[in-house]
Amino acid sequence: MKSLVLEHLAKTYFDPYRGTQVEAIKDLSLTVEEGDFVAVVGPSGCGKTTVLNMIAGFVPKTGGRILVDDREVSGPGPDRGVVFQSFALFPWKTVRENVAFGPKMRGVGKVERARIADEYLEMAGLSHAADRYPNELSGGMQQRVGVVRALANNPDVLLMDEPFASVDAQTRMTLQEELTRIWEERRPTVVFITHDVGEAVFLANKVVVLARGNLLAEVDISLPRPRVWDSLVHDNDFKDLSNQVLQLVRSA
Amino acid sequence: MAADQTTIFRPAPSRVRQALRFLWPLFGLVVVWQVLVMALDVNPRVFPDVPTVLSAGWKTIIDGTLLTHVGASLLRVSVGTVLAIVTAVPLGIAMGVSRGISTFLTPPLRFFSVLAGIAWIPIATLWFGYGFGAITFVIFNAVFFVVTYNTLLGVSTIPMPLRHAAASLGAGHWQMLTQVLLPGALPNIVTGIRTGMGFAWRGLIAAEMIATNTGLGYMLFLARDFYRTEVIVFAMIVIGIIWLLLDRLLLAPLERATVERWGMVQRS
Repeated sequence: MKSLVLEHLAKTYFDPYRGTQVEAIKDLSLTVEEGDFVAVVGPSGCGKTTVLNMIAGFVPKTGGRILVDDREVSGPGPDRGVVFQSFALFPWKTVRENVAFGPKMRGVGKVERARIADEYLEMAGLSHAADRYPNELSGGMQQRVGVVRALANNPDVLLMDEPFASVDAQTRMTLQEELTRIWEERRPTVVFITHDVGEAVFLANKVVVLARGNLLAEVDISLPRPRVWDSLVHDNDFKDLSNQVLQLVRSA
Repeated sequence: MAADQTTIFRPAPSRVRQALRFLWPLFGLVVVWQVLVMALDVNPRVFPDVPTVLSAGWKTIIDGTLLTHVGASLLRVSVGTVLAIVTAVPLGIAMGVSRGISTFLTPPLRFFSVLAGIAWIPIATLWFGYGFGAITFVIFNAVFFVVTYNTLLGVSTIPMPLRHAAASLGAGHWQMLTQVLLPGALPNIVTGIRTGMGFAWRGLIAAEMIATNTGLGYMLFLARDFYRTEVIVFAMIVIGIIWLLLDRLLLAPLERATVERWGMVQRS
């Protein structure tokens, strides 16, 4: 089973400005089942990005365990795909080469990895931009590339760090709808970090609220799928759940 | 006419127009030179007029001496620059990746970068003798430090998310180097090469005056010994023109072809 398990995860670091140890994450345990979509919300400074960076292997944990598919992780690896807030596309590679990057690292041949890339680009509606460079694309298009680049590598877990925070509001809604559509088709395991409660409720099966380095609450989101903004905006269940999560975040 | 009033949109100038825009001030300079020499009746030993310089230059072209000198100078610059690039880029990347290496090597590099250039000529001639080796060493010195520092700067300014992205897509150490660090540092590396070659070209002329018997610097120096002012002026013009050609036809297009296309520097 390719689930993600966090066991008593902890992160303490030294703050040179205050001259003291800071507990960013105190004792966090969480299980994300295979094919689940979990959103992590919380006020800024609650440690949500630190959690994602530890799962991704970008920063070392100081306590507990992280298991992906029952293997303990240390350092970054292709079993955990990451979508960045800053997109992090390689500016010197075309869109197709960016999406084919993961397969290339695995040693997939040139023809095959171009085929994989084109398949994913079509899924994101980006076939026309395959030969362009990232700086020639809008922010929304760049992040579509960021998402399919991570998916094309077939990771066990997809980690998304506020991926839509730096695009405009209309584009953000479109990207959210596209992401739910892709998730409904392919069912990747997703951990999605956001400070936007509406986004978390719209996308996820389960919303996890973090507060001051601890898990405050888990809220199941049993809204029917497919989800689109036009209908959910007026949906009372959506409003109730959003309010419930918002109250939790504000109480944190 | 009405058409004249509506031509607000101006297309980008063609390459020919751009070249003309660059050349006509220089042509103006030549005209001023000729007018001044004639008007003030300057002694040709002090500064010859344009036709004298051109005919002296033509002779050096016909008898092949110019080609010999230019060839010698260009060979030294090419060899010294290539050697500097292939050693400086790996060193700069190693420094950019490892804090330990960077901390250890920064003080000696700072020290030697001050000494780079013609300060090395005396000891270079003791080590390599007069000629190719000593001068190439000086060129190497001029390019090496600039390219090392620019590579280091390039690697350390690659945004962390790019390295993280490559690592979480499965890139190993070698792939990180070839797919991320090298291309990411390339804008700075190209800038370093351009700056370094500028230093090298200046250093080359100085070194050739002292430590050899071919090359454009030697051509200048030899002409002075024979009071051939017209040859001195001609050689100075050739030195300037060759650098402009190198920079505009080789280095600037290299920068355009890669870096600007990726949007990594602003077009200027």
